[in-house]
Amino acid sequence: MTAAVKSRFGVGASLQRKEDDRHLYGRGQFVADVKLPGLQDIAFVRSPHAHARIKGVSAPPDTAGQVFSARDLPDLKPMRAVPQVPGFRPSGYPAFATDKVRYVGEVIAACIAPTRAEAEDLAATVGVDYEVLPPVVDAAAAAKGSSVLVHESWADNLFIERTIQGGDIEVAKREAEIVVQREYKLHRQASVPLEGRGVLAYLDRRLDELVVYTSTQVPHTIRLGLSEMLGIEERRIRVIAPDVGGGFGGKARLSQEEVAVAALALAVDHPVRWIEDRSEHFLAAIHCREHLYRMTAYADRRGRILGLDAELVVDAGAYAMWPNGPFLETGMAARNLPGPYNIRHHRVKTFTVATNKSPIGPYRGVGRPGACFAIERMIDEVARAAGRDPLEVRVGNMVGPDQMPYKSVTGMTFDNGDYPQCARMCADLLDLPAVRARQKQGEPDGRLIGVGFAAYAEQTAHGCGEWVTRGAPFIPGYESCQARLMSDGSLVLMVGIQSHGQGLETTLSQVAHQELGIDPAKVSVRHGDTDIAPFGMGTIASRSMVMAGGAVARASRLLREKMLRIGAHLLQADPKDVRWEDGAVAGPSGTVRLEEIARIAHLRMEQLPDGVDPLLEVTATYEPAIDTGVFSYATHAAVVAVDPLTGLIEVLDYGVAEDCGTVVNPMIVDGQIRGGVIQGIGTALYEEIPYDDQGQPLAATFADYLMPGAAEMPAIKIAHLHTPTPYTEYGMKGMGEGGAIGPPAAIANAVRDALGPLGAELNETPMTPRRVLAAIRTARKRT
Amino acid sequence: MSQVRLTVNGKTVADDVPPRLSLADFLRERRNLTGTHLGCEHGVCGACTVLVDGEPARSCLMLAVACDGREVQTVEGLDKDRIATALREAFKQHHGLQCGFCTPGMLITARDLISRNVATSEREIRKGLSGNICRCTGYTNIVTAIGHAAKALAGGGGE
Repeated sequence: MTAAVKSRFGVGASLQRKEDDRHLYGRGQFVADVKLPGLQDIAFVRSPHAHARIKGVSAPPDTAGQVFSARDLPDLKPMRAVPQVPGFRPSGYPAFATDKVRYVGEVIAACIAPTRAEAEDLAATVGVDYEVLPPVVDAAAAAKGSSVLVHESWADNLFIERTIQGGDIEVAKREAEIVVQREYKLHRQASVPLEGRGVLAYLDRRLDELVVYTSTQVPHTIRLGLSEMLGIEERRIRVIAPDVGGGFGGKARLSQEEVAVAALALAVDHPVRWIEDRSEHFLAAIHCREHLYRMTAYADRRGRILGLDAELVVDAGAYAMWPNGPFLETGMAARNLPGPYNIRHHRVKTFTVATNKSPIGPYRGVGRPGACFAIERMIDEVARAAGRDPLEVRVGNMVGPDQMPYKSVTGMTFDNGDYPQCARMCADLLDLPAVRARQKQGEPDGRLIGVGFAAYAEQTAHGCGEWVTRGAPFIPGYESCQARLMSDGSLVLMVGIQSHGQGLETTLSQVAHQELGIDPAKVSVRHGDTDIAPFGMGTIASRSMVMAGGAVARASRLLREKMLRIGAHLLQADPKDVRWEDGAVAGPSGTVRLEEIARIAHLRMEQLPDGVDPLLEVTATYEPAIDTGVFSYATHAAVVAVDPLTGLIEVLDYGVAEDCGTVVNPMIVDGQIRGGVIQGIGTALYEEIPYDDQGQPLAATFADYLMPGAAEMPAIKIAHLHTPTPYTEYGMKGMGEGGAIGPPAAIANAVRDALGPLGAELNETPMTPRRVLAAIRTARKRT
Repeated sequence: MSQVRLTVNGKTVADDVPPRLSLADFLRERRNLTGTHLGCEHGVCGACTVLVDGEPARSCLMLAVACDGREVQTVEGLDKDRIATALREAFKQHHGLQCGFCTPGMLITARDLISRNVATSEREIRKGLSGNICRCTGYTNIVTAIGHAAKALAGGGGE
């Protein structure tokens, strides 16, 4: 670990972003902006049925060469995610449906025409003969058995059934003085980046290379998948993720459309593209969040939680997304269920269920917003049962700083930090006495005021061992950087991650500055291109700053070491007597600047010392010094007003206290927190894709699917602790997802506090006016 | 096909277009002005906002043929615009963008709010942005940036 020396440009500086100008002048380049001669558009024919057998696909005879379905591409292999998890049932997911369709929106055929409008006209002429089957829609019911099978070769509809436990729940049961039982549910939603997905592909005949532009977070992984599904060597595929308009996890899996468009580019003699429209996004892009928790907490009379016994049902949709499949979500939720608390007995029976809905994938926070919702709601109910303040019960249950490093009951190692202090800092962000006074006095408009908290520890930048334990087919335990110092002293960093809003072009330049003293304006960061960067696992799992930042630090140091040797020789000094100072090698007799060394290393090799090769070009990989990840942590607080007549919830105030170790760019970190929190508020209050009993999705536009807007969102107050972790470069921890984890829980607890006098509680998201009114009605019936 | 003649970013252009071609597709596909982004194509997200005869309009809902004889300005036409210049500076300083996809629509909407003098308070700016979705930033920094740009332009300091 290097001590962070603060400079105007280095680690710790709120440097303005290198990315901003091109977007502010409308000169960014997203997939839909890429123009190629002869480019044609694709419209997909998608299943209108949740579950049906395909008896035939027909197109008018004059459309030959423009309409493609599974029978036209017989060599295409189905995507088969096979995580190394015992008992997991793989499901082959073909790019074009073959015998059956298993969700509304599944791709059956592709139509190619000069414009999207004409391609859609063509799609309307394609006939599909269906034998409609009854769908599986209710995951909780299907977990207990179903006469309908999503995958006919399976005995039931479970991808996997698995119990995750630690300690001995019977001990907790025996010793408990308080027992609380609840059911918690998060409904299905989508990740909804403002740029939808998009793929453009063509065969470069000169290089004999298939070029695929795709709006993805993981270009190298996509290349790997395309190589497997298309049966082409990796050297013949180039995947480029240009500017990507948000991802949030939703663009981190290989999709039907990526495989289909790549295959079509090889079947026709011109470039083709598919640009997702918003309805396609709601129908067919990955869904997320649909969890059901049936949970019992055992506590002593002060509310100290002894154990948790739970059942978790995850509605995984029809297929396992390549490469990881849906158990990643379930396992993460189950292991995070004890939260940042010192709970020693834990048992979660999990059911990962296949249904006739769009497949699930990761979305900011993955399994954690659900786990946080369940445990944090539970803490508040335990506090009520104990007759104590929820914040005090929360703090009392937290892992203390003296217990660090702390191994959780589910095997996670919390590396460091002060969780209780963070919770108190969060409370200080709100004027609690004023909120309580206002609550007591009552609102003139009859609304009810409440305040709620939620805490979490967030595993980030997990290393090799963790991914092996999770059974990931590929292990994203490292990241890579190739650093090329040019002859004029400017620097190119080529990295295997993909920055799509996180500002990594800026922050990775800051790391290079930290190590080399180079002006970040003289650094180009190239990412999202498999022909440029060494292999990398992309931007997922809150890992890019820690992992790619670590790789950049290492690569920069390798360059520095070589420059020190060259510099010492040029200064006629002993290498022991020179040091790196402000972008130059300084010795007893003078200094020689980086630019001069770079020039000599490329253009004047006769001046190099014996045994030192020309060029300043290195490739480095980096993995953190701990396998189990470094844990950022936070407490969120929400103040809400609930209208008991309309059921409408307004978030009046919102605070976040967090610790992500050493911060590279405070401006960007605060931006990530705010963005994450607003997405979490979306989960809490608005966003939902309901399905009817026929498996028809009921939200397919922004008219049915509400997004958080500027007018109803609060400003977010933020407070920081800074506890550098000893396990990463500079002490950084990942933090990209955290903001989205806390809001559903904090807001539900605030609503519970507000509705306390009515005895109502909200235990599912989103907390829509309809659900709020139903909860109030239910409470009235009880009393 | 229908003939249209309109002004785009100060230049007169004429083209034969299918009646169903949207203004957004006309700008993006026929004029290569790809700074106008399509986030929903049903008039909710605001990413495709352009100025038609000086008023913000959803270019995804507007047909190209309906713009015959009119004046269209896109983000690419605001390089030297006084208000847009102040906004760009403020967006950089206050981290008002992350992925950049909503940014052109945000700028055009924000420019309109400032030009109509309805960006004088946080509340007013937030209401003014209700037709533009940003999925990344959580809006706060956008609101702050617009507020600062408005103040700077009014000569009230700010920046």
